[in-house]
Amino acid sequence: MDKFLTFTIAGLSSAAIYAIAASGLVVTYTTSGIFNFAHGAFGMMAAFTYWQVHVAWGVPTIPAVILVVFVIAPIFGAVIERVIMRGIEGASDVVKIVVTVSLMVALLGIAQVIWPQNVSRPVPPFFEGRFVELFGVRVPWARLMALVIALVVAGGLKLLFTRTRLGIAMRAVVDDRSLLQLNGGRPGRTAMLSWGLGAGLAAISGVLYSTEQTLSAITLTLLVVNTYAVAVVGRLRSLPGAFLGAVILGLAQSYVTGYINPGLTIGPIALGNLAAALPAIMLFIVLLVQPEERLRAHGVERPRNPIRVPSQTVAIVGGVALVVVLAALGSLMSASDLVLVTKGAGIALVTLSLVPLTGYAGQISLAQMTFVGIGAVAMAAWGASGSPLAVVLVVAVCAVVGAVVALPALRLSGIYLALATAAFALFCTAMFFNQQTIIRAGSVQVPPLSFGPLSINTDFRQLVLTAIVFALLGNGLVWLRRSAWGRRLTAMKDSPVACATLGLNLTSTKVGVFALSAAIAGAGGAMSGRTFTADSFSLPASLPVTMLAVVGGIGSIAGAFIGGMLLGAIPIASTIFAANAIGIFRFVSLPVTNVLSFTPGLMGISLGREPDGAAPQIAVGYRAVGDSPPALVVSAAGAVALWVATRVGVITKWSFFAALVVFVVAVVPLLPLILTPRLPEDQAEPPRRVACAIWLALATIAAVLIPWATAITSNGVRVLLVLVLAALSARVAIGVLGVTPEQLRRPLPPSPDLIGVDRPLSRADAIEATHMMGLTEDEFEAEVSRAGADVAAAPVGALR
Amino acid sequence: MSASFPTAAASPVAAAAPALRVRDLSVRFGGHLAVSSVDLDVPAGRISGLIGPNGAGKTTTFNAICGVITPTSGQVELGGDDVSKLSTHQRARRGIGRTFQRLEVFSSLSVRDNVRVGLEIRQSWSRRRAAAPQFLAGGAELSADDEVALIIDRLGLVEVAEVPVGSLPTGQARKVELGRALAARPSVLLLDEPASGLDEQESVEFGALLGTLAASGLAILLVEHDIALVMRVCSELSVLNFGQLIAHGTPEQVQSNAAVLDAYLGGGGNDATAVERAAVDAGVNVSDTSWSGPGAPS
Amino acid sequence: MTQDAAAPLLELRGVRAAYGSIEVLHGVDLVVPPASVVALLGPNGAGKTTTLSVACGLMSPTAGSVHVAGRDVTGVPPEVLAQKGLTTIPEGRGIFPNLTVRENLQMATLAGVGIKQVEEVAYGRFPRLAERRNQIAGTMSGGEQQMLALARGLAVDPAVLLLDELSMGLAPLVVEELYGIVAQIAKEGTSILVVEQFARTVLGVADIAAIMVHGQVRRVGDPTTVEQELSAAYLGG
Ligand SMILES: Nc1ncnc2c1ncn2[C@@H]1O[C@H](COP(=O)(O)OP(=O)(O)OP(=O)(O)O)[C@@H](O)[C@H]1O
Ligand SMILES: Nc1ncnc2c1ncn2[C@@H]1O[C@H](COP(=O)(O)OP(=O)(O)OP(=O)(O)O)[C@@H](O)[C@H]1O
Ligand SMILES: [Mg+2]
Ligand SMILES: [Mg+2]
Repeated sequence: MDKFLTFTIAGLSSAAIYAIAASGLVVTYTTSGIFNFAHGAFGMMAAFTYWQVHVAWGVPTIPAVILVVFVIAPIFGAVIERVIMRGIEGASDVVKIVVTVSLMVALLGIAQVIWPQNVSRPVPPFFEGRFVELFGVRVPWARLMALVIALVVAGGLKLLFTRTRLGIAMRAVVDDRSLLQLNGGRPGRTAMLSWGLGAGLAAISGVLYSTEQTLSAITLTLLVVNTYAVAVVGRLRSLPGAFLGAVILGLAQSYVTGYINPGLTIGPIALGNLAAALPAIMLFIVLLVQPEERLRAHGVERPRNPIRVPSQTVAIVGGVALVVVLAALGSLMSASDLVLVTKGAGIALVTLSLVPLTGYAGQISLAQMTFVGIGAVAMAAWGASGSPLAVVLVVAVCAVVGAVVALPALRLSGIYLALATAAFALFCTAMFFNQQTIIRAGSVQVPPLSFGPLSINTDFRQLVLTAIVFALLGNGLVWLRRSAWGRRLTAMKDSPVACATLGLNLTSTKVGVFALSAAIAGAGGAMSGRTFTADSFSLPASLPVTMLAVVGGIGSIAGAFIGGMLLGAIPIASTIFAANAIGIFRFVSLPVTNVLSFTPGLMGISLGREPDGAAPQIAVGYRAVGDSPPALVVSAAGAVALWVATRVGVITKWSFFAALVVFVVAVVPLLPLILTPRLPEDQAEPPRRVACAIWLALATIAAVLIPWATAITSNGVRVLLVLVLAALSARVAIGVLGVTPEQLRRPLPPSPDLIGVDRPLSRADAIEATHMMGLTEDEFEAEVSRAGADVAAAPVGALR
Repeated sequence: MSASFPTAAASPVAAAAPALRVRDLSVRFGGHLAVSSVDLDVPAGRISGLIGPNGAGKTTTFNAICGVITPTSGQVELGGDDVSKLSTHQRARRGIGRTFQRLEVFSSLSVRDNVRVGLEIRQSWSRRRAAAPQFLAGGAELSADDEVALIIDRLGLVEVAEVPVGSLPTGQARKVELGRALAARPSVLLLDEPASGLDEQESVEFGALLGTLAASGLAILLVEHDIALVMRVCSELSVLNFGQLIAHGTPEQVQSNAAVLDAYLGGGGNDATAVERAAVDAGVNVSDTSWSGPGAPS
Repeated sequence: MTQDAAAPLLELRGVRAAYGSIEVLHGVDLVVPPASVVALLGPNGAGKTTTLSVACGLMSPTAGSVHVAGRDVTGVPPEVLAQKGLTTIPEGRGIFPNLTVRENLQMATLAGVGIKQVEEVAYGRFPRLAERRNQIAGTMSGGEQQMLALARGLAVDPAVLLLDELSMGLAPLVVEELYGIVAQIAKEGTSILVVEQFARTVLGVADIAAIMVHGQVRRVGDPTTVEQELSAAYLGG
């Protein structure tokens, strides 16, 4: 009985912390429509700041708490609102999720830079050594305090949101910002207050939690995942629901720790990690028992720029080019570079798996690396011979697992799928990948594939295989996107309720897409032929995959490739810059590798400015090349020439790298300008094409001739100089030419269908229309002057 | 493609069993009974009207019929089969099509793709190559592309066929919604304020289109506040007030029903304007008129 | 600006406005004299809503100026205009769908009127709202939402009232009644600018009608003459 009481009280006090954390989440969600994945990271930052202020600088407890909880955290929250969140108002769910997830990753990285992990930072508990006796159990004051705070927060929030005009205005902002302005409110300020409040609540829970556990950035940040399950009980909006959830989770975790023997096993699964997996399990159960979300007719918004779907021909050409280019580059690389590039290409397969799910269907998954893991582990278990048949089996298994995981969440709206997949990732890490029986000694070796006599047993072959698989799958996805099924996905993204009333089974369609996505990710694992550590399948590893896929531009295959390459480039950059540090006046000195650790986060945050990702913009820059056959030929020929020269040893690999960068950045985009005879009519000065061509040739030759390998010792400096050279060459070339690529990019003649729909009729349109009607220019003029007189006769603006 | 449609001859459909039958339908939201024991019969080949003041429960009735919400009680029968237990998409497959009071178009797709998606969703569950409905090419068999093109032509959307629907004015977007619903080949069509956002001339054209659709055998249930349109095209009306049916009958009967005048239409004067307008509208030359070009009103 | 007695309460001078690079208002001149109803009519996409957005401060004009009671208020933020007595009921849903009816009315008090007065006026004009005061506004019928939106406009007793597509989705009786109210508060001194597509619903109460086509005001005049022109246009003249 004593034991039961002890665990009940322990459970209730962690429930109190969960409740406070969850109420912060609910506050942000109801006041901004943004589910703040970085909520735990806010709490983590606050906990570390508290340690800094209280322990390191010796400020007494009460002023330190006041400073952190009531001053620093709210200001931090308000600044985040102003700088980041305001930009993503009205963006899609995907962008909102990715931006907050990125914020979380960035904060985690920043915290680890400021407070390196190798130091232990104990935070003294509040009221140390003070207890009360409750039913014969000694309860520390601090725990009682947590309970009291939770109750006060609950009551206070309830009052604020239902009784005060400020609180109601906070809820009104998310409904309609400009309407609030029309009412006379100030949405900007109100939103900053809401985020400040949310951050304050995160700070309370973070500080409380840090006194109970060792101060660890990851643990504290992932605290928010426990709170997901708690908040979902109240459908992310209800505070009482969240409190109920907190009590359930707190007690359940406490009883599991108290009563379940960690040595217990079910089959190969040891239950030692059950307490850690509980939030995930609870989240699934809660999702399962939620009633299916009611379809709602909500009216439809204006579309964003629709992404151009490439034709199948373009996709095929792109696929072949990708294989050729990767093979050519791979053949020049050192063994160690080749390993990294091959891994990067492997990651591109995983980002590709998000194209149908996120790009086409607008759903999000935060567990892609988990599926990679399932694919890898299954392949290691069943496909030791590397048989392609085993891959098929493994892929099918991943599809089924994906469908089962997605089913409960897909009945609900987008954010729940993100939560469910995050929970699934945590669950698998705790109950599956961290099991000795499944992944021995923390790493798994995926057997290399073999096709009959051809075994993919070198890195180069693996790279080519990956490129081929990417090209094939990419083509398959383009085909799907252009099919009826692809149109249906877009339609479903625009209006689910309309699809349902046309006879579309929404759930099975969404489950299908999710299964496809899981299958591709699983294939990425099964065909990787490399060694993974169990860590690579965890939630923190999956987050950057989703983030960078969206940053690359998830609506397109090219975007997925860019995303994968960005992610793959980080370890490459880390090795290049291993010896470099960024110094600011010798005041701080940050190793570049540390900075790189949170760049994915920063890239994700930047999405707020460019929600479509990078690919569409890059595509604009190079589209003209695709439209100009001479430019295409010269580009290909130049690249091949460089490759051959390097291959036979005429130029060094650094020269190859430098020349290639200059060629791609400066020469290729300008080729259509130089080679295509037609130029904008309004260009008075004839462009100096020949001079420009000579300049570009010189720049490329200079890039080849500079003795990169001997004159410069640091890799980092070399790479920087190459980039500077490329940028300078491009800038000067544009100056020499006298025309910019933008000027060349003539707008396509508008479709006659669009005139009067997307723009007013112009005089030219009218003349053309008149011609088509068989009138002459003179008749047109007569017509116009008649109409003009008519208009002039009207008393415009003359009133009373 | 030249668009010559044989005007469907007067419908041969027997008016025996109604295409859609609603019995004792009630919807309760918390303590508020939004729809209360409503019975409706919607016969094929005709346009039935469902009118009533704001908040009377018309949209709620639609939602319950097509399964977007679950009613508290009541049956929905489609062609004699009870579909009350079926989900939204299953009912759609049995032949219920609808449009929405607040637009639910696929705004990032072009007009053509909107209609095409309707057709493709149908094809995804029905492999049967049925002949096209009567109002399209007189019921001949059509390829998918032709059917889409014909629907677009029929609705007068040819000029904007490749424009993303999100950038169309409300009036045209409503026609897209209708076209999309037609592409799924429903037997019963529920239209929720299809004429709001149309200007007066467009609303007249729209009425004529509905007439053709009904003549080809479709059962249409129309919710609309444009009384002139309702009186002109509907062969029978049901009037809802506070969730209850307060009248049912021909437009003439309903127009002279005291309860209806009181709850919805208003006194005699207002009534006269509605009739007068209907008369004006009927005589309107529905050709190429627009007052947006310079010099049009002379 | 001189501020003589007859100065119009709201005036747009040569206003141009654009969404991105697409200009949709090409020099709009519009005047709303004190205590009168001006109807702004025009086809789909003419730029009526955009004109109102500029007038209420939600959009900044790219050229031209907006004057309220003789003062140049171009660029003044909308909340300030709202507090100074320029009230706008936007097109579509002029309500906060996730707040209750009462909470919606509470937001109206941000313009500086007490909740007592707001509730009195709103429930007085629309008893239906009083029955529904604790219902989430987004779940009300289209017409009820429109009533709630308009209730705010009436309750805060504005000097200038801008109404966009008031009659959209409302039963004919209600429209008639609403326009009765509009005429009445104009008599009491409020200047009103109404945007409508259905010309006939509003011409009865308007003092002045302006027709907007392709981002410009093409005709301004007496409602009866304008009505004749409109009919002529509809009948294919
Ligand atoms: N989800 C809901 N919760 C509570 N009440 C609701 C809900 N949905 C609708 N109602 C109420 O049910 C009643 C009927 O609404 P409905 O939308 O069916 O009206 P309507 O006849 O379509 O009116 P309108 O012509 O204005 O569109 C209204 O009073 C509305 O407030
Ligand atoms: N947010 C927007 N972004 C881009 N273009 C817009 C936007 N809003 C309106 N437009 C365009 O501006 C033009 C004028 O629109 P506006 O909404 O002002 O017209 P309106 O006269 O109010 O039409 P309606 O009667 O349909 O309400 C239209 O061509 C419309 O497509
Ligand atoms: Mg309705
Ligand atoms: Mg408008």
